[in-house]
Amino acid sequence: MSLLEVREVTRRFGGLTAVDNVSFNVPEGEICAVIGPNGAGKSTLFNCLTGFDSPDAGTVTFAGRELVGMRPDRVVRAGVARTFQNTQLFEEMSARENVMVGCHAKTRAGFVSTALRLPWTVKEERLAAEDADRLLRLVGLEEWRDAPAADMPHGLRRLLEIARALATQPHLMLLDEPAAGLNNSETEALAHALYRIRDHGATLVVVEHDMGLVMEVSDQIVVLDRGCKIAEGPPRLIQKDPEVIRAYLGEEDPEDV
Amino acid sequence: MSGRSLNISRFLTVRAAIVAVLLLVVAVLPLFVTGTDARYVLKVLTFVGINVLIVTGLALLFGYAGQVSLGHAAFYGLGAYASAYVTATLGMPWFVGLAAAIAVTALGGLALAVPSLRLRGHYLAMATLGFGEIMRIVFVEASSITGGPDGFSGIPLPSLGSFVFATPQSIYWLVWGVAALAIMISYNIVSGRPGRSMRALHGSELGAMASGVDLVGLKVRVFVISAVFAGVAGSLYAATVGFVSPSTFTFHFSVVLVAMAVLGGTRSLAGPAAAAILLTLVSFPDIVLPGLSRDILAVVQDWEVDIYALVIILVVLFLPEGIAGAGRRVLGLLRRGVVEPSGSDSGTGQRGDEA
Repeated sequence: MSLLEVREVTRRFGGLTAVDNVSFNVPEGEICAVIGPNGAGKSTLFNCLTGFDSPDAGTVTFAGRELVGMRPDRVVRAGVARTFQNTQLFEEMSARENVMVGCHAKTRAGFVSTALRLPWTVKEERLAAEDADRLLRLVGLEEWRDAPAADMPHGLRRLLEIARALATQPHLMLLDEPAAGLNNSETEALAHALYRIRDHGATLVVVEHDMGLVMEVSDQIVVLDRGCKIAEGPPRLIQKDPEVIRAYLGEEDPEDV
Repeated sequence: MSGRSLNISRFLTVRAAIVAVLLLVVAVLPLFVTGTDARYVLKVLTFVGINVLIVTGLALLFGYAGQVSLGHAAFYGLGAYASAYVTATLGMPWFVGLAAAIAVTALGGLALAVPSLRLRGHYLAMATLGFGEIMRIVFVEASSITGGPDGFSGIPLPSLGSFVFATPQSIYWLVWGVAALAIMISYNIVSGRPGRSMRALHGSELGAMASGVDLVGLKVRVFVISAVFAGVAGSLYAATVGFVSPSTFTFHFSVVLVAMAVLGGTRSLAGPAAAAILLTLVSFPDIVLPGLSRDILAVVQDWEVDIYALVIILVVLFLPEGIAGAGRRVLGLLRRGVVEPSGSDSGTGQRGDEA
């Protein structure tokens, strides 16, 4: 059975149909890539899958639960975490604290119990800190633990956001252009992190421009162009798909490719 | 590694020692206030404690969660009138009045927060400003309960059981005891999970939502807590002074409170408390400088609002992180000086919250 089922999702902004009747499935344990030229509707689709936006039509079913209409924080609690194209870190907080915020979905100390410093809240804090340290090691950021996010280099900020998303203990992770702005060695490190995350039991959906990364890591690729799905399949077929080539390179002679 | 944890634990010990000394100073201060104007001085110091209590609530709301309220004088007033009505008109004990103040301000905070915290930035500020003005008019017009523009007099002194806080010293201790309790509660909150989500909300709302933080629920809770702190302060004020009138709970006082929170700085409880002490004493310079002539005093009190406005402008221009930011910078330099010889830390090991 598929972990995520996207059915006929449509999102319009005025006269523009940003996502047009898109359907696809993501089987559990796979890495699925969503690609397409700029403006193809990838980020809008992501927002519709995670509660940050509401589709005008269609359904998004995750492990049997309908996600459309759910608040973003509820979607996270249901087991779907995401990162952003423009990283949304807490700049003045340390790397460790950033990841600890991600633990919120799985911890429960509220205002009253924290104000009273009940013993279980102290223990929960300690466990969250240990969790955060473990995840920072997983993405290779343990040296940056106490540095404010604002002081971290661009590439590492993306990894920090991934660690924060992992802290919510997701079954499904949606990464919005994780390789944007990364150099080759950072992209390489990212690819390894993605494999490690999948091996930890999370299913991944990745929006990405970096074709090298997409072709390397994904099991399945969904191609969007101007809001519509134009192709779907494993990397070796997508590479040869004439529709995809046309969408990326325009109406040029196939011999030029 | 061990070098750093040693430094952190030493830092925490130093901090605990500073807190203990401050508590002691605040506790024994009334014993050293003697002379003909002792009553007056103690009363002013009691007002300082009341303002510290309100500003601690604003430090949570503004300094940690990044939400602006221009209507906190209204919660202060709600607490004062609720407590006054229950104790004076209904003849109930002060403790019941305090409970009523807490209940009314919590409900008032909820009523304002639920619709308006969906608004952001300026719009939220406008909504709280409107709420403050509406409440001020209610205080004037609901004269059968509030006494109208003439005010509400004959409010009994605070009491617990048969013990009445009758002397200025005992009232001082009551007020500062409550303020210390509020700071302690707030410190626990900001160093735990809720405080982290508040700072996250301040840092990036999208990031906080993507981490599973229920933004509206969090904002409403922080807002209600800060409203309740103001309400408790109002109850203490009403019982201490014995008289309340609408002229105390104006937009002007809300601005004074915001000035204290801004001067105090973000992500700090100590900074806003220090700012509340400083700015409250600005209105009573004769406490700090006993020989001051009445003429100078009158001038200062006439220009009080302008002084506060000037403080806000100067802080925004020259000290954008407030007292807390300046303190952090000094502390960072000191610690670097202490740590660098061993070369194990660059001063980043410290937690983000500074209480």
